[in-house]
Amino acid sequence: MIKVFNLEKHFGSVTAVNKISFSIQKGEIFGLLGPNGAGKSTIIKILSTLLKSDSGNVFINGKEINTNSDECKKIIGVVPQEIALYEDFSAYDNLMFWGQLNGVSKISLKQKIPELLHLIGLEDRKSDLLKTYSGGMKRRINIAAALLHNPKILFMDEPTTGVDPQSRNKIFDIIETLNAKGMTVVYTTHYMEEVERLCNNIAIIDKGEIIAQGTFDELQTQCDLNEYILLKTPNATDLAITMLQKTIQLPIIYEKSIISVQCKPHIHLQSLLNNCKRLKIEITDIQIQKTNLETIFLHLTGKQLRDY
Amino acid sequence: MITTIFKKDLKLFFSNKKNVVLTFLIPILLISLFAFAFGGISNESSEDKQVTLLYADFDSSSTSKKIKAQLDTLSTINLMKVTLEEGNNALVKGKFSGFLILNKGFKDSLLLSKKLPITYKYDASNPFEAKMLQSIITGVVMNTVGSQLYMHKVENYMNTKFKTMSNNLKQRILADISQVSFKNMASTTAIIEAIPVIKKSSNTGNLGLIQAVAGTAIMMLLFSISGVGVGLLEEKESGTLSRLLYTPIKTTSILYGKMLATLFISMLQLFTMFVFAWVAFDLPIFKDVISLILLTIAVAFSVSSFGVFLVSISKTRQQLQNLSTILILLMSAIGGSMIPLFVMPSIMRKIAVISLNYWGIQGYYDIFWRNLSTFEILPRIGVLSLIGIVMLLISIPLFKRNIVSLTN
Repeated sequence: MIKVFNLEKHFGSVTAVNKISFSIQKGEIFGLLGPNGAGKSTIIKILSTLLKSDSGNVFINGKEINTNSDECKKIIGVVPQEIALYEDFSAYDNLMFWGQLNGVSKISLKQKIPELLHLIGLEDRKSDLLKTYSGGMKRRINIAAALLHNPKILFMDEPTTGVDPQSRNKIFDIIETLNAKGMTVVYTTHYMEEVERLCNNIAIIDKGEIIAQGTFDELQTQCDLNEYILLKTPNATDLAITMLQKTIQLPIIYEKSIISVQCKPHIHLQSLLNNCKRLKIEITDIQIQKTNLETIFLHLTGKQLRDY
Repeated sequence: MITTIFKKDLKLFFSNKKNVVLTFLIPILLISLFAFAFGGISNESSEDKQVTLLYADFDSSSTSKKIKAQLDTLSTINLMKVTLEEGNNALVKGKFSGFLILNKGFKDSLLLSKKLPITYKYDASNPFEAKMLQSIITGVVMNTVGSQLYMHKVENYMNTKFKTMSNNLKQRILADISQVSFKNMASTTAIIEAIPVIKKSSNTGNLGLIQAVAGTAIMMLLFSISGVGVGLLEEKESGTLSRLLYTPIKTTSILYGKMLATLFISMLQLFTMFVFAWVAFDLPIFKDVISLILLTIAVAFSVSSFGVFLVSISKTRQQLQNLSTILILLMSAIGGSMIPLFVMPSIMRKIAVISLNYWGIQGYYDIFWRNLSTFEILPRIGVLSLIGIVMLLISIPLFKRNIVSLTN
């Protein structure tokens, strides 16, 4: 459905996207996971024809996007990171406006808009001005506005930014419903739990490069990861951490008062705690972290995806 | 503590370019303009002060030539010879303020002590300059023929009332009179027939009212159009403009769509202003509806293009607000929205043509005051349309470039 070859984009001296290649199959929910500034939005902008890449090619449905941008635009929908809607219009008027701009007739929209409002659960608020909506409700309209022309591919650029957990779940339901109907979704986020829940193909991106790609199971296998013990400490010195590492002979990352030890918790926990006591490392909290995208990201980049 | 707060506030103030521009630059520019307008700047060259006076000499006598020669010596007057038709047309169209016609029969009128065969026609939409010219002409005429005129009057009087007076005494009295300067007496003597030139119409508007409505309407239109521009930049910032670009619509279509909306709002605002002036102040807006509509469309088009141009060269709302405030105030001051052009010196009236306001206001003068036909105001409509087209053509690539930079 989407094939990307050696895509490259620079902004001045900054490399936003560095020769990345990947492909997305029809019906997939493809997750682009990475921290802020990793290059996710730039990739989405290039894939959705808003930005031109410096080099490389993107094919959507077999057609190169730069030479067939109008055709490609017809089959893609974009949910931008911002709530790009008119606050002084009602939800219905917003949808009518964006639908018409996407070339949908008024007659079709009169049928389509109620369907979409039902899908996002806002049919009873259709006549209210958008400025009276909550952040989560606006996000849902933001999604609906990208669906009016029945796109085959939906690009979603961090669509849950700033929404409450309830609205977030509603958005996940919407995406799963759309995917179940055959829509291909490209989803960017820095929330690994979103990718874990939604995506069946994941690309982990950092500094404009894809550092790993595959299904969750494939990523786990690629990284050959153990689980993690996370120890929170207020007073560990660098010397104590070095001593601890030498003693237990396990990979340790110490960052922001958290000692992350890659190990098998049921085997190593007791000896780890004993050594901390011996090295006078005060422990205030213990967490066992099973392998997830956060740990994979940590393993691949040596840094955490998000701040705790 | 007080000095710390003082220093902080000064630092904040001077770090905000908009504040600095509005506090210092704009007042300096406006003071300069008003100083020009009210003659506060005295080192103008005589060429700058020169006012063109049209003239036609049908007498071609030694006396009329003397008057022409006297006027020619004045550094403030630039004499331009025209035919009667050319002179009348120029006044009707407001191109010049005064037209001196030296008719036939000077010698006879002087001998018979009749009113002088001089006609002075003037453009009443430029009353200050026209009156100034009239005063200068009267002075020159009296300086040239005043003693002859009065001596003939006195001689006739003496011949009638003092028939027995010796010729010797009469000649002495007349010789004494010839030493008197008549130049200053002229100002109180209506020796010249002064005729305001307006195309005949039963419902010519009030000059002050036309100035107030046209000047204010165009200035406020410029401000409201810059407001529309701010809205467009808000769209940039909110992301709706980017979203427009995700759709199959072309960049130029976005620009033209915005332009059309701006044009409509501009026309609506101008027509509302004129309807209000009609209802509240009896401005005769129905005297030439076609001209009014055409000119208003042209004004709205040029102002809208100017607004689009401003948006195209601005990357942020603040940039647009700063730029539009400066340009609109300057154009309004130069173009006659703030101060009527007829009180400005001639150099300012020459500079005024660079302002949109000038062309719009003069166009409305043409319709409501000068009573020109639709055909006759077409040149002004043409200039306004041309300004609009040029602005739009410049704006298209700039708009595209700014959109590209926005999406980066």
